Amino acid sequence: MVPPEYYLVLSAAIFCIGLFGILTRRNALLFLMSVELMLNAANINLVAFSYVWGNVTGQTFALFTMALAAAEVAIGLGIIMVLYRNFGGVDVTDATTMRW
Amino acid sequence: MAGIFDFVPAIVLLPFVSFLVALAVGNRMPKGGAFAGIVATAGSFLLSLATFFTVSQGQTYNQTIYTWAQGLDGAVTLEFGLLIDPLSALMLVIVTLIALLVHIFSLGYMNDEGETGLPRYYAGLGLFTASMLGFVVADNLLMAFMFFELVGLCSYLLIGFWFREPGPPSAAKKAFLVTRFGDYFFLVGVVAVFATFGTAAFAGSESFPHLAEQALAGETSVNTFGFAAETWFTIVGLLVLGGVVGKSAQFPLHTWLPDAMEGPTPVSALIHAATMVAAGVYLVARMYGFYALSPTALAIIALIGGFTALFAATMGVVKREIKQVLAYSTISQYGYMMLGLGGGGYVAATFHLMTHAFFKALLFLGAGSVIIAMHHNENMWDMGGLKEKMPVTYYTFLSGSLALAGIFPFAGFWSKDEVLYETLIHGLGGSPILLVAYAMGLLAVFFTGFYTFRMVFLTFHGKPRSQTARDPHGVRWNVKGPLAVLGVLAATTGVVNMVPVEKLLGIKGIDFLHQWLDMSLDGLTAHHYAELTPYSSAYIGGEATTVAIGAAVSLGLAIAGAGLAYVLYNVPEPTEHTDKLGGIKTLLYNNYYQDEYQVWLANSVVRPISRGADKFDQGVVDGVVNGVSSVSLFSGSRVRRIQTGVVSNYAALLTLGLTVLLLGFGLLGGWFQ
Repeated sequence: MVPPEYYLVLSAAIFCIGLFGILTRRNALLFLMSVELMLNAANINLVAFSYVWGNVTGQTFALFTMALAAAEVAIGLGIIMVLYRNFGGVDVTDATTMRW
Repeated sequence: MAGIFDFVPAIVLLPFVSFLVALAVGNRMPKGGAFAGIVATAGSFLLSLATFFTVSQGQTYNQTIYTWAQGLDGAVTLEFGLLIDPLSALMLVIVTLIALLVHIFSLGYMNDEGETGLPRYYAGLGLFTASMLGFVVADNLLMAFMFFELVGLCSYLLIGFWFREPGPPSAAKKAFLVTRFGDYFFLVGVVAVFATFGTAAFAGSESFPHLAEQALAGETSVNTFGFAAETWFTIVGLLVLGGVVGKSAQFPLHTWLPDAMEGPTPVSALIHAATMVAAGVYLVARMYGFYALSPTALAIIALIGGFTALFAATMGVVKREIKQVLAYSTISQYGYMMLGLGGGGYVAATFHLMTHAFFKALLFLGAGSVIIAMHHNENMWDMGGLKEKMPVTYYTFLSGSLALAGIFPFAGFWSKDEVLYETLIHGLGGSPILLVAYAMGLLAVFFTGFYTFRMVFLTFHGKPRSQTARDPHGVRWNVKGPLAVLGVLAATTGVVNMVPVEKLLGIKGIDFLHQWLDMSLDGLTAHHYAELTPYSSAYIGGEATTVAIGAAVSLGLAIAGAGLAYVLYNVPEPTEHTDKLGGIKTLLYNNYYQDEYQVWLANSVVRPISRGADKFDQGVVDGVVNGVSSVSLFSGSRVRRIQTGVVSNYAALLTLGLTVLLLGFGLLGGWFQ
């Protein structure tokens, strides 16, 4: 059996890649992908702990998270469409009208 | 028990309804709403008479009719209630009678003279009467205070009736502010009474005079805030007295009253005889059981009264306007009432309040009649010789003047003599301070006789000194009627209390007013008050001798004053003899510079203090408030810069925040050890 530390390292790595993408990229589509990565990192954690403790609750939650991610993508794509229409591009640093 | 007492609220409400009617539909009524007022006050008068007769059968009434704040857990309860005893029943009759006569007289003085704004005038009269009646029937100090203030408001509205001229609004403001100054102390006094006794009721076993009496006897204890009980009662009494001094125009708050002559003359009659000014003295009489417990307060009341009586009488000597003379005589006469109350003569003071109400209303209405005749010229030096032209006014005015001067057998003689007599015997009984007040009151009798008859002779005798006086404007029944009623009353009301006759001739039982005021509730009777007052009586020679001497001296002085006026002014072409007084006349004519000194006080003392207070308010209090807000504004303007609108920045902040949070928990939770 693979020790749980490996799963945790994998999930941490994927989460950090997602975070890095959000912090450095300007393309809204890449944002969406990075968010997906972070969500899946969390899923890996849920499934790993569920496997270690022999309890399926974590896996159930992982299923829920996937459904949630699908919904989130639908909204996210919608936002990107509006962003494109209003600002002529998908660069998140252009859309700064809601500021002080 | 259904009886006349159930209709007592109507006495107060009828004039109030006339106020509403005059205000709402007065414009569309004939005579500007005058008839509504006449009907309402006539109704009140009849109800008051019925109440009076019920009370004369020995019934009294002390009932709460409305509780508007129920005190929980021992907190005070605020109520409206009615207290009908001989004193308030008597006052109800006086007030409603005079209000009725003033309303009728106003038909002649206002309507026939073509005044505008009559609905406003009659509305004011109605509200004025209603507030005074509410004050009279009040069964507790707080209710009394509220109606006291309403009375002040109405005087403001009516004195300033002719608000398009410069004088009346200013006089109205002065009357309002000066009496408000006194009322401020009254308000503090009301709060002090509540804080001390937990009640402000006038009558009954739970009333504050009764509790104070028990506290002094050691039977119960009240919260006296660390003072000895008697000292504290004196302080509370003097606080309430502040309102009395303001409303009853006693020195030093008398300055508003002569200026109040700017109002229409019927209003002056109402203010001086029955309502506003009488309210102060009535209040002291109402809570006399409380004042009687404090010798200091009584002595101060007597001294203020005696001094005011003399002080105002001297100023009346030199005035040129007929209404000014009457104004100073009012101040002086209310001084006598205060002297009587302070000197232990509760019945005497009430008696004088009653006779004065009649003869002063008469004099003012008479003066109003003269003013109509003279086309609103009030200067006595332009009059003269009106005796033949207006006999009804002359003879009634003469009756009022004889009463005012205190000439036997007119009403004023009996009441003023009794005030002076009570003060004298109590002064002789070991209160030298009362003798001082008595001496001032006695001296004022001479001046009263002089200025009263100076006024009569200048106005009615001699030769006409102007064209209007040669051909005066006639007056109608609505002026003559009230004058006749009051003229008879001024001549005859003395019979209700002929104490000197009783004492001298030994006829028992003709001191009707004494018996009347003794029929009150327990603890409110004249006998009880006499027991409470700290005075004992002593006589020169014997009771009858003292009465005779006192009456002879005051009558002699009054006749001397009147005689001097007769010699000086009852000539065809009188001259201004007061000019011979020189500088004194200037001093008197300028009212001892009381106004100037009060203006100086306001300008040089109060204004710097208020300016300092304003600086403190603007600088320190507002400074703190403004400081807090500017700190928030400044920090907000800095912190808002993190709202860049760039999503990446928010994400970075979120990450940073999460990291800081994790590190914080880690450090606190000891993960790194």
